[in-house]
Amino acid sequence: MTGARHRVVVTGLGVVTSIGTGVDAFAAGLRAGRSGAKPITAFDTTGFAYSNACEITDFDPEAWITGQSPDDLGRAAQFAVAASRMAVADAGLTEEQVRAVRSLVSVGTTDGESRDLDHLTGLQVSGGDDVLDAVVARRVWPGRLSAGIVRELALEDVETVTVPTACAAGNYAVGYGYDAISSGDVEMALCGGADALCRKTFTGFYRLGTIAPDVCRPFDADRQGILTGEGAGILLMESLESALARGARIYAEVLGYGLSCDASHPVAPDRDSIARCITAAHRNAGIEAADVDFISAHGTGTRANDVTEVGAIRQVFGEELPRTVSIKSMIGHTMGAASALASAACALALRDGFIPPTVNHRTTDPECAVDCVPNEAVEAELKVVQNNGLAFGGNNAVLVLGRWDTAA
Amino acid sequence: MTTQIPALDDAARTQIKDIVCDILELELDEVSDTSLFKEEHDADSLRTIEILASLERTFGITLKQSELSRMVNLAGVHAVVAEAKAQ
Repeated sequence: MTGARHRVVVTGLGVVTSIGTGVDAFAAGLRAGRSGAKPITAFDTTGFAYSNACEITDFDPEAWITGQSPDDLGRAAQFAVAASRMAVADAGLTEEQVRAVRSLVSVGTTDGESRDLDHLTGLQVSGGDDVLDAVVARRVWPGRLSAGIVRELALEDVETVTVPTACAAGNYAVGYGYDAISSGDVEMALCGGADALCRKTFTGFYRLGTIAPDVCRPFDADRQGILTGEGAGILLMESLESALARGARIYAEVLGYGLSCDASHPVAPDRDSIARCITAAHRNAGIEAADVDFISAHGTGTRANDVTEVGAIRQVFGEELPRTVSIKSMIGHTMGAASALASAACALALRDGFIPPTVNHRTTDPECAVDCVPNEAVEAELKVVQNNGLAFGGNNAVLVLGRWDTAA
Repeated sequence: MTTQIPALDDAARTQIKDIVCDILELELDEVSDTSLFKEEHDADSLRTIEILASLERTFGITLKQSELSRMVNLAGVHAVVAEAKAQ
């Protein structure tokens, strides 16, 4: 295909998080540095010495899901469908308008409906195969995360993708949407990520020694690991022509993204590979490192991630690092939703002119010395922001967003 | 600490060797008390955590993750498990 590529903009945001559902509540939570950390109620935590997570305790699926029975969807798909409805409404669109154009739905995830698998496994252990719940078993297929959105909005001319690249999956899904719109394959895309708290993932991270006993403190000398989280972030993206033609409010322009897949270790991040990914994103976005006004880091708050990630950033940026924050300090590690929610946070930061803080911060670790905007958001004129998503298996995806100026 | 820690009995040593060989997929005669899990038996960090978890279950003990740095071979595991059992 030849011809000019389309510019891609974000015009709608849908978010379900432990610090607020809906774009206004989320934006207010980011500015205030709110924390979603609390004791887990999603499953029995007997036997664990500590068990905090950033759980969502006020989500009402019936308030959002009207095109199908919420019971036909697992919790992650419910989050994804709810966030999509929010994003469509936030973009000032009706579902008929989305239905009328060629579109893409791509949703990233780490665990799919592992919450349901926990439940089914429990049934199987206690009662054998005959007691399995057919309704729950049917909704385990992770394809439902994206298919549930398509069904809800009754889309027909649509490509439907669930992207299983773990904790970088949200950025992968948004990057795929960027490609689909910029190449002219589709006019609109609903892209992001979703995951629900589950015992399997909590236990796995706990066993690896990476769950913090109290709160998540990225870049802190006393950091002790992650808190698991849950939620969904969905971005409604469209071509600039489409947005301008309908007079849409534009949050940000998607300037580009980069990927790197090194597969060098099951869980340990690889600094060189992350640096390659950042450089690829800058090249794709047509920017220089010096253009980046702040980095939304993967910033899990584990010993391994923060040092390796900052090392990779330093490899690309030299000694002058932009401010580097982690919203996981507020909403926990939402796995497949993480980089999608961080993308939404970056879009809000660009529109509203602020940098979200890294909360729970006491003393910055000299080994990952960055200005992490400790505890209090700062006002800032922003033009370009970088959002890192790094995943197990060396699946890395970095997204670059820019402020949209009518004068530009 | 000046308290003498009782040595592990043969049954416990056998159990530990079985666990390590099972997880590292080795024959019993491939492992000596001093052969190194990582350098000589291709263990990675996930396998060593699996060994730690299995020891906790088998002996009803709690092992700090920091003890992994001593658990480089069977002799190291014996020392760590003996200390944990004595507590």
